[in-house]
Amino acid sequence: MSTPAIQISDLTKRYGKDRGIENINLQVEEGEIFGFIGPNGAGKSTTIRVLLNLLFPTGGSARIMGLDILRDSKKIRAQTGYIPSEVNPWPDMTAREFLRYSASFYGIAHDAKKIPELMEMFDVEPGRKISDLSSGNRKKLSIIQSFLHTPALLIVDEPTTGLDPLMQSRFFDILRSENRRGMTVFFSSHSLSDVQMLCGRVAIIREGRIVNVEAIETLRKKQLKKIRIEFVDRIPEILTGMPGMKNGVNVSGKAMEFIWSGDMNGLIAALSGKEIADMTVEEPSLEEIFMHYYN
Amino acid sequence: MNRNLFLREFRSNATGLLIWTAIIAFLTTATMSLYSIFLENNTKILAMISILPEGALQFKGVSNVNDLFSVLGFYSANNVIYMLVLGSIYSIVLSSNILLKEEYGRTAEFLLSWPVTRGQVFFSKLAVVVINILAINLIITVAGYISLETCKKEPYSVDAFFIMSVYTLLLHFFFATLGLFMSVLVKKPKPITTLGVAWVMVLYFIFTISNITPDLSWAGYVSPYKFIDLDVVNPAYALDLVNIMYFTLFSFLLIFFSLRIYLRKDIYL
Repeated sequence: MSTPAIQISDLTKRYGKDRGIENINLQVEEGEIFGFIGPNGAGKSTTIRVLLNLLFPTGGSARIMGLDILRDSKKIRAQTGYIPSEVNPWPDMTAREFLRYSASFYGIAHDAKKIPELMEMFDVEPGRKISDLSSGNRKKLSIIQSFLHTPALLIVDEPTTGLDPLMQSRFFDILRSENRRGMTVFFSSHSLSDVQMLCGRVAIIREGRIVNVEAIETLRKKQLKKIRIEFVDRIPEILTGMPGMKNGVNVSGKAMEFIWSGDMNGLIAALSGKEIADMTVEEPSLEEIFMHYYN
Repeated sequence: MNRNLFLREFRSNATGLLIWTAIIAFLTTATMSLYSIFLENNTKILAMISILPEGALQFKGVSNVNDLFSVLGFYSANNVIYMLVLGSIYSIVLSSNILLKEEYGRTAEFLLSWPVTRGQVFFSKLAVVVINILAINLIITVAGYISLETCKKEPYSVDAFFIMSVYTLLLHFFFATLGLFMSVLVKKPKPITTLGVAWVMVLYFIFTISNITPDLSWAGYVSPYKFIDLDVVNPAYALDLVNIMYFTLFSFLLIFFSLRIYLRKDIYL
């Protein structure tokens, strides 16, 4: 049996009296794309920063590729790529200088072909000063630097923030192709749709604690939709108390909002023949999902 | 030490080094160019000094008014503020920001996620501080020596001049290590330049007050300036072992504790 890519045991980080993360237990297998999802402030970035030894744990331990995060931090980082959620490279450098600087720490030659190739792929102007780059372009630089040394493990924290849909899709394609070649991905996000698109399993973190670890398929079966319907007249009685409807709110007598869980055909059948003025179906927020399942 | 980090850091501090060196070297040589005018007007100057309050000369580290008329005494009295205060401000500003800027600039999230140990980061940055301080001291010493040689009307003790330069260097190292120590204690990442400058000014102020107020002479020992011998005209002027031990010991202790703290420090971003 292969060594887990990440093995976290009772990992705790407190900031004085404030909560960071509490007794996190997780195992990410080699070759997985593992989702780590939770609302802002749940402890995702804290967990990652403890794994990368930017922060020291208050308790517990963790191993990455069998190496201890405290004792073997340098060896771990030599095999790991990291994309932080907020990207702030040295503003006086150009894009090319930043990537060459990053590459130099991994012993990659400054004229390595991979640097211009990746810059071209992500449409980054090599000579532009970082201080002049938009947050999206800085994010692209961060993505490129994380791939330069072909890491065995990639840790990403909110990687799609600031990326346009085209770049997002290009980034996901690279993630999938590198994953096929054996790279493990620890994908932290507050976007359920991003995680559903890429990951095989997901850990849900809330208020510093792991609420659940599930296969994406299981999560998908629990598919929830947030629905708002505005009727021409009043809300039909048939809708009140329908199985599958949760947290229903009567907005105005004519309009209602609710979380729908289950067979969509049942809802559509109930609505047939009713005069609808407007209807929206959207992904519920993570908080709404948590309220539904884990409260 | 990490070569890439060292080179990057050295380059990014080069402009600051050039500016500070140029300012201090210019002030030193410009002041020395006034020496011949000072000598020509010695009667008027002595009359002016006689009305100054007692202790005003001690403020500049001068124990005897006649010392001012020797080229080395003039150099020491008039350049003390540039070499000892401005140079110390440069040292503490440089060192207090060199590690901390990676935190408040949030670049530590890259740097410390790359394969480099905290120890390598610490020593690479410390090496840049040491080299910058050596460079600024070397250039100021050369500028001072050229000024002295150009302005001298009679021989002076070159040894005394170099001994004073060694004291200056030790003082700058002391403030650099103090700045480094202050920076690793900072929890919320933000620049501490003002705090560093304040420390230099407060310690210099304590030293001068203790010099001109006999009742407070004990307070001077709080300040590193007390351990700088400025009596360059004294024929017995030499490097004092106690003073050297003071600077060396404190600098090493500050480096030791700074490293210990930095190795276990949470990097808040």
